[in-house]
Amino acid sequence: MNQLANVFFISRKDIESYYSKPPLITWGILFPAVLMLAIYVKDPTTYLDVAPGLIAMTLLFGNTSMAAIVVTFEKRSGTLQRLLLTPVTIRTIVTGKAASAAVYGIATSLVIMVGLICLLGMRIVNPFVLSIGLLLGAGTFSLLGLIASVMVREVFEAMTLMNLLRFPMLFISGVFMPVAVFPAWIKPVSMISPLTYVVELLRFGIFGESYFSSPWICIFVAAGFLVISWLLAGPAFGRSADR
Amino acid sequence: MYQTDREEKRRVTLEGSDSIIQVEQLCKSYGDTRALEDASFAVRRGEIFGYLGPNGAGKTTTINILCGLLKRDTGKVAVCGLDIDRDPVAVKGRIGVVPEESNLYPELTCRRNLEYLGELYGLSRVARKKQVHDLLQTFDLVDKGTTPFRALSRGMKRRLTVAAALLHAPEVVFLDEPTAGLDVPSARALRSLIQAINGDGTTVFLTTHNLAEAEALCDRVLILVKGRVVAEGTGQEIRGRVEETKTLSVVFSGDVVQESLRAACPAVHSVFPVDGAWQLGVTETHAAVAQIVSFAEKQGIRVLKIGTTTASLEDAFMRIVNDKADGQEDES
Repeated sequence: MNQLANVFFISRKDIESYYSKPPLITWGILFPAVLMLAIYVKDPTTYLDVAPGLIAMTLLFGNTSMAAIVVTFEKRSGTLQRLLLTPVTIRTIVTGKAASAAVYGIATSLVIMVGLICLLGMRIVNPFVLSIGLLLGAGTFSLLGLIASVMVREVFEAMTLMNLLRFPMLFISGVFMPVAVFPAWIKPVSMISPLTYVVELLRFGIFGESYFSSPWICIFVAAGFLVISWLLAGPAFGRSADR
Repeated sequence: MYQTDREEKRRVTLEGSDSIIQVEQLCKSYGDTRALEDASFAVRRGEIFGYLGPNGAGKTTTINILCGLLKRDTGKVAVCGLDIDRDPVAVKGRIGVVPEESNLYPELTCRRNLEYLGELYGLSRVARKKQVHDLLQTFDLVDKGTTPFRALSRGMKRRLTVAAALLHAPEVVFLDEPTAGLDVPSARALRSLIQAINGDGTTVFLTTHNLAEAEALCDRVLILVKGRVVAEGTGQEIRGRVEETKTLSVVFSGDVVQESLRAACPAVHSVFPVDGAWQLGVTETHAAVAQIVSFAEKQGIRVLKIGTTTASLEDAFMRIVNDKADGQEDES
């Protein structure tokens, strides 16, 4: 129970210190909003096709970047060491930090979605599946950001490492076109990307249809990625603390 | 109840009963570099224990191991009767740490910093508010409660970092160079606070480069050189180790080359310049004085002042560190 409360305290402190700051909020919202507007201006009839991919991309970039930046900054300022000196487990720290980054990612995605609904007429067919997709995506991507951050010393190193992962993921995960229209040789590759399942969950939530026959397939696989990321983040964080 | 039983079962019983920290044959290496080699010592409950050594001796490595920030290679470590590797959370709940660099959250106010840490230490809302208020008052920071940590002076940052380490009333406080970089009044105020903390029954584990500070504050000290414990005891005991050889304080009328002085005086076994005088460790005083006078004559200078001095902890420290360094060079 104490450790659960500590997850909340760590998460609340990070939101207070970093994620509620105007520059971070505007960065998280402006980037996808401008991209969406550009796509809308180019072709107002089909712009919604890329909405699930764009929201997933917002989650991917926002969460991985912010989680990595926050931890790298705290390593440099010594405050991560301060946290490690308190009676909290490594898992608690990982969960608290991932939770705060996830809240940030979900909040910015929700703002984008509200904008799409109010200004461009997007409709949501299945809010439950959409919410699950946002939660699983935000959690997994935050944990990936944490894992990257403990492997490096500088923020730019974390970004370089993340980009090696993020850009191939964008290419293979159906962000800009559905997995269904991919060439046959890419389809099996796309199945190893967690982003694929998040995009398909959002697609199901917005359009009521996806590449997979049931949203539960995506939910189980995306949850699997979340659990694996969480399991990997703990030891990675522990090793970093021991350096 | 379950937690208490579990802790009880895991209690490490090395030897002795009044030791709050027990370390046996502790070893730690970073790659090929051996930071700690078979370090063994015990810290008694309620004392101020000085952990001294030159730069790179392994002091911070020891603290990091005792606090659970670093894993040891081999050896036994018990803090508050618990093995830090097996019960890191329980140990961290009983200790307070003031690292060499103040590391509270720069963007949070002083009050919020303490409240946040109070939350992580499991203090109730009421206890937290009281403790934060009391500590801000004790450390003379009440009017800085709403000031961000980054806006404080170095001395205030240090005081708040010490306050943060005391939030949960720890049994042991680790202070790593607490007065380093502080001006004289701030350092003096902090030393008084350390004595007050210890007066409340808290054990203090102190590392410092300031040997006068160690001599004034510590009940017992340990000297670490290149990861090895080379001396341990009260300040008096440590001084006693070098007092079998007398210390002469000599002032010459001109410049003197250290090596020439040592070479010309076989009865002198150590030579250190201290504040315009030469501190000479000698085995036989009369012979040494005769050799020093003869040396001065040959150099064409005069002996302006000569007298015996009582070895300070600093003299003893320098003697021990140099002897050990020489010994290790000889071994290699």
